[in-house]
Amino acid sequence: MSSDASVPASVPVVPPAPSEVDRNSQVRFKSEGGRLVLLLPPEDVGDSINPLSWTEIWQQLKQRLDGSERFWQPNTTVHLIARDRLLDSRQLQAIADALTEAQLQLKRVYTSRRQTAVAAATSGYSVEQQPTVAHLNQPTEEAGQAMAEPLYLQTTLRSGNEIRHNGTIIILGDSNPGSAIVADGDIIVWGRLRGVAQAGAKGNSRCLILALQMEPTQIRIANFVARAPENPPGQFYPEIAYATPQGIRITRASDFSRP
Amino acid sequence: MSRIIVVTSGKGGVGKTTSTANLGMALAQLGRKVAVVDADFGLRNLDLLLGLENRVVYTAVEVLAGECRLDQALVKDKRQNRLVLLPAAQNRTKDAVTPDQMKQLVVSLAESYDYILVDSPAGIEMGFQNAIAAAQEALVVTTPEISAVRDADRVVGLLEANGIKKIHLIVNRLKPAMVQANDMMSVADVQEILAISLIGVVPDDERVIVSTNKGEPLVLADAPSLAGLAFNNIARRLEGEKVDFLDLTANNEGLLNRFKKLLNYKIF
Repeated sequence: MSSDASVPASVPVVPPAPSEVDRNSQVRFKSEGGRLVLLLPPEDVGDSINPLSWTEIWQQLKQRLDGSERFWQPNTTVHLIARDRLLDSRQLQAIADALTEAQLQLKRVYTSRRQTAVAAATSGYSVEQQPTVAHLNQPTEEAGQAMAEPLYLQTTLRSGNEIRHNGTIIILGDSNPGSAIVADGDIIVWGRLRGVAQAGAKGNSRCLILALQMEPTQIRIANFVARAPENPPGQFYPEIAYATPQGIRITRASDFSRP
Repeated sequence: MSRIIVVTSGKGGVGKTTSTANLGMALAQLGRKVAVVDADFGLRNLDLLLGLENRVVYTAVEVLAGECRLDQALVKDKRQNRLVLLPAAQNRTKDAVTPDQMKQLVVSLAESYDYILVDSPAGIEMGFQNAIAAAQEALVVTTPEISAVRDADRVVGLLEANGIKKIHLIVNRLKPAMVQANDMMSVADVQEILAISLIGVVPDDERVIVSTNKGEPLVLADAPSLAGLAFNNIARRLEGEKVDFLDLTANNEGLLNRFKKLLNYKIF
C-alpha cells in the first residue's frame, strides 16, 4: 500500500449535513483552568428510535478514562456538564466512582434538568442549574467552528468501539477490524490501523490519516472513500493517507510532503 | 478467596458451554470446590453436557423468587462431589433476571466454593450483562475463524469497559493440519488481533460431540484425548501451575505417542 497506484478507486460520497455530526457527539473530557470538564452528550444524541442510553454513556466514559488515565494528575477536580441529560443519584454515584478509580474528584455538576440537580445536591455535589438553551458548548449551526483540542487515547480500539471527536484523534495502540475512528481533524494511529478511519469528517479534505501499519478496512477523508487493496502488501511502513482531487492516495511517511 | 470467572465468547457455538463443563470438572478433579452457573436462561445446555439434566429440580429463577433455598437448587455432580451446577430456567427468557440479582446469586455461591464458573450465553445483550455482572475474571473462548475472533474482540472491549481486566484467551477447535497448510488462522494470528494472554489451545476433536451427547465431560473419559488433556492443562494454569502448551503441530503418529507419554507423566 505504499505506492499511489495500489490504492483502488476512490469514489466521492455525499458529505453529511453539518447538523448531523453534532448528533453523534460522545462523552468528552476537556481541561479548563487547571481542572477537567466532563461533558455528557445531550439527551437528543443518537436517532429518535435509538437514543444514546445510559449504558453506552457509561461505556464511553470508562473507555475515555482508561485511555487517558496516564495524562492526569491525581486528585484533579472534575466538573460534570450533564446538559439536559437525566441522571439519578445512582448514575451520578457510578460516574463519581469511575472518576475516583482514575484518581479524579467530582466536585460540581452543571445541569439544565431539575431532577438531576436535586439528585446531585442530595449526593453532596455543588450544583449549577442552567437554562436549557444557553448551556455550554451548545452546537451552533454557524460554519467555521474552531476544532477542539486533540483527543489522545492510549488504548486498543476493539470491534464495536467508535471514537468521534471534533478535532484531531491520536490513538496509541491498535485499531482493530470493526472499530471506527471519526475525526473532524487528522487521525494518527501509532499502531496498526485495521478498522475504519474517517478524517476531516466535516468536509476538510486537507486532513490526513497517519498510521504505523496501514491495513484499514476503509479510509475516508472529507468526501472521499477508499478501501484497502485486495492483496495486502507483504511489508508495512509508516504511511500517510491524503486526499487529492482524484481521490485518496497513500504514501510512505518518509516520502511524504504536501503536493 | 474464591474466584468468579465468566466464560464468554460473543459468537455462539464456539465452545463456551463445553469449556465450562470440562474446566469445572477438571478443577474439581484437582481438589477444588467448584460451582458452575448456567447463565443461558431459556436455552440452557450446561446440565446436558454434565449429564445432570434429570436431576434438575429448582433453578436460579426459583431461588430468586424465594421459592427455594440456594442449596436446594444446586445439583451435585454424580461422579465428582466437589462439583455443583446451578441450572438456569428453561421456561423463561434472559430478561427474567437482572444483573443485580445474578450478582447476588453468584456472590452468595462464592461463600462456599473456590471457583464459580459462569457460562455466558452468546450475544452481548441482557444475558451477557447478567453473566458478567459478578465476574472478576473472564475466559474468552474463540475458534480460529474471522467471525468468532471479531466477536471475541468486541466482547473483550465490553469486558474491559465493565472493569474486568483479567481476561484470558482459549482458542478452541484448532485444526493443526489446516493451520500448517495456511488454510486456518493460527493461534498467533488470533492473538495478534485480540492482544490478551493465552491460557490454552484446544484441538478440534470429534470425541467432543460424543461426550456432549453422553453428558460426560471429556476430562472424565477413560480413553485419553488431546482435547481433554488441553482442558486439564487450562485448569492447571488457572491454578497457577506452569504447564507447557501442547505441541499440536507434530505429525499424528508422533503426536499420539507423545501425548500418551505426557499422560503417564502428568495426570495419573
